[in-house]
Amino acid sequence: MSTIPGQVRLSWQDPVTGEQRSPLLTCPIAFGREFARMPAELNNHRVARIVLNSSQVSRYHTLIEWVQGHIRVTDQNSSNGTWVNGVLQPSCNVSNGDLLKIGPYEITLMFTLDGTGLPTAEASEQSIIQVPEPDSPVPAEPAAAPANVLPPACQAHQVVVQDLYATQLPVEEIDYLAVGAGLGSFIWVDFLRIFGAAPQQIRALGIENRPYARYQRLCLNSQIPPHERLRSNSDSCPDNIWGWPGYALREAWHEFNKGKLNPALQYLWQVFAEPTFAQTYTPRAGNVFASIDREAVRIGWPQIYQFGRVRAIRQTHDGRYAIAYSPGRKQTAFVVARYVHLATGYPVLQFLPDLKAYREQTRDFKSVVNAYEDHNHVYETLERQGGTVVLRGRGIVASRIIQRIHEARHRNSNIAILHLMRSPKPKGNRFRKAQRPVDNHFEFQPFNWPKACWGGTLRDELEQATPEQRTNLLADWGGTTTADRKDWKEIVQQGLDQGWYQITFGEVTRVVPNAQSRPTTYIQEKGPRGEIKLEADFIIDATGLDSKVKASPLLNDLVTHYNLPLNPAGRLAVANDFELLEMRNQNGRMYGAGAITFGGPYAAVDSFLGLQYTALRAVDGLVAARAPNLRRLNGIGSLLQWLKWAQNQAP
Amino acid sequence: MTPTLLGRWQTRILLMETVGLVVTLLFSGGILGSPESAIFLWLLQYIVVFGLGWDYVYIQIQTFRWDQDWPAALQWLAALWEGVFIVLLIEIVGVKLPGTAEDWHLGWFIVHYSFVWIAVFVTSQSLMRLIFPRWRFRGGQWL
Repeated sequence: MSTIPGQVRLSWQDPVTGEQRSPLLTCPIAFGREFARMPAELNNHRVARIVLNSSQVSRYHTLIEWVQGHIRVTDQNSSNGTWVNGVLQPSCNVSNGDLLKIGPYEITLMFTLDGTGLPTAEASEQSIIQVPEPDSPVPAEPAAAPANVLPPACQAHQVVVQDLYATQLPVEEIDYLAVGAGLGSFIWVDFLRIFGAAPQQIRALGIENRPYARYQRLCLNSQIPPHERLRSNSDSCPDNIWGWPGYALREAWHEFNKGKLNPALQYLWQVFAEPTFAQTYTPRAGNVFASIDREAVRIGWPQIYQFGRVRAIRQTHDGRYAIAYSPGRKQTAFVVARYVHLATGYPVLQFLPDLKAYREQTRDFKSVVNAYEDHNHVYETLERQGGTVVLRGRGIVASRIIQRIHEARHRNSNIAILHLMRSPKPKGNRFRKAQRPVDNHFEFQPFNWPKACWGGTLRDELEQATPEQRTNLLADWGGTTTADRKDWKEIVQQGLDQGWYQITFGEVTRVVPNAQSRPTTYIQEKGPRGEIKLEADFIIDATGLDSKVKASPLLNDLVTHYNLPLNPAGRLAVANDFELLEMRNQNGRMYGAGAITFGGPYAAVDSFLGLQYTALRAVDGLVAARAPNLRRLNGIGSLLQWLKWAQNQAP
Repeated sequence: MTPTLLGRWQTRILLMETVGLVVTLLFSGGILGSPESAIFLWLLQYIVVFGLGWDYVYIQIQTFRWDQDWPAALQWLAALWEGVFIVLLIEIVGVKLPGTAEDWHLGWFIVHYSFVWIAVFVTSQSLMRLIFPRWRFRGGQWL
């Protein structure tokens, strides 16, 4: 593709969703928080207007122009200024590869002055791969319309229940139905049971019987075995709606009973002083899963769970919902329920576009991997014969992979990591009077959101904000962070000192195989050095998961069929109690939970505690709607239910 | 803890006037410590009333913290300060707070204050969550 002078490829990672954006635009280009405040035309040229959502961005913040053969960046008297390569600049000419910082947005500029040879790698919005699944008798369907598998009875806006029976296919009628049967479903069902619903009133449809199966697989793939710790709080307990006793107290008690006083006191000190005077306590993955197993038996999950791949969701004419699913290959069955809960989780993995292109061209799925895929062969090979790994992304998963490679180096010291980052990180995000700490270009935060997002001032503020303000707040609080763990910091520092761990900054222009079929990354560095190349044995993409509704055939069908609104982040729009208001059907209610609702009233939707918050709000909503057998849980009733939990009795 | 201002106020009033009151009655009734005296009941109310003002200060400090949180360790430091403040007021500045003119005894104040505070802290970390399942999601609001 040839380009013309004044064309600039902008490239940044969205701080809200983590998606890569890389539009190719012609100058003049304006940046600001409000579309209408930026000029539509300048000197008879149409202005490309880019809206950046953040309270750190002014309404009209910065202008990029083509002036006498140069690309010029001019700040528009913004409150927080425009930074070019880390320097505050009222106005300056920029070079190819320069980094523009506007609030929490870090935008790389790529262009050539004569307009030729501009890197053409365009980030595809669809640069995704499927989340790894277990071997299943019912395969995931292609992204084509799921309606294909449905009988004509399901094509209507509102399905007549008798028509479903007329198909001669199995039909079950039930009060409460959870779609997904993962952790989101499990936690909702846990609340339903404790609020009074009986197991025979509830059905959970999914493809794995243990509610944490998929989560656990992603943990194992991203190198968190059972004895390693999750990035989760002590009192975020998916097995206990009260969060007490938390995992720290339980682990301390366990150690104390083994006569080990020191670790017991250490865990208690951690939850007492974290994060200011002690490293934040986090539970071991294995302990969390074991506690969920216990609670699953207590609430009758084996009775509630039903294998089935959900194909479509429809309203019924009598104020309920019909769910079509496949209980086996080429089979279809229906569940009809009045109260439905959707918690289908992350539909796909984000995969960096250049890496996805590499795999599609070379069919080499071993050298270039996503951190959430099973990639143990990488460590096995490294331990056997040494090698170099290019690591992309700087979140919690990247940290854990560095730790894993550090372990591998004990077996083979001939292993090196090239950590490729888009830009330096001298300072963390700012929000009003507070700033996030940074060390070695890693931004630190105990959990994936500031703590007060779960139940403090920030939760309150986000809930009360308008959809547009919510996007601003999420951009300010978001971004890629990792946990401030002493061992990780020491490993990184040691690696830097000894030279086996290096950080390189730059924008990837392409990844291609070299003569030995090893993946070679070409990156654009700023300044005269221009393009440099990194050769490696493996590339690991640790950039994340994606929950766009359009990526899930089931949700896409639901959204299309009922013309449901999406929120600004492209996820399901939900009310403050997580109801999908547009799906309300007489007395019938539908709720959403987890990653598919991100961008709405609550930031930490995909965390254990966030799922509990969501379930609590949704079940309180059901109590208000007089759903059968549910009573509001509070006071002595709550205490009595907790005593049952403590004694492991059914609710 | 990630309290909101309303949550701080509600939790302080509830716990001080229930758990704190029970502990205080042991002192004012003479079961614990010095001869029975109403001064402990007065002091409890001063702790609550001044505390409502301190809560506002703490919330301001919290906004400088990225996580906008308030670890248990800071709760203890704040409690220490609130106790010291009352001692300063009475012992050093010599303010005549109504109800505290008679029976003031620094040693017994420290014992009483410590008992009240520890009882309130332990309850807030355990029973409060069990009785009010929404409390932890609402920054300490239980109403």
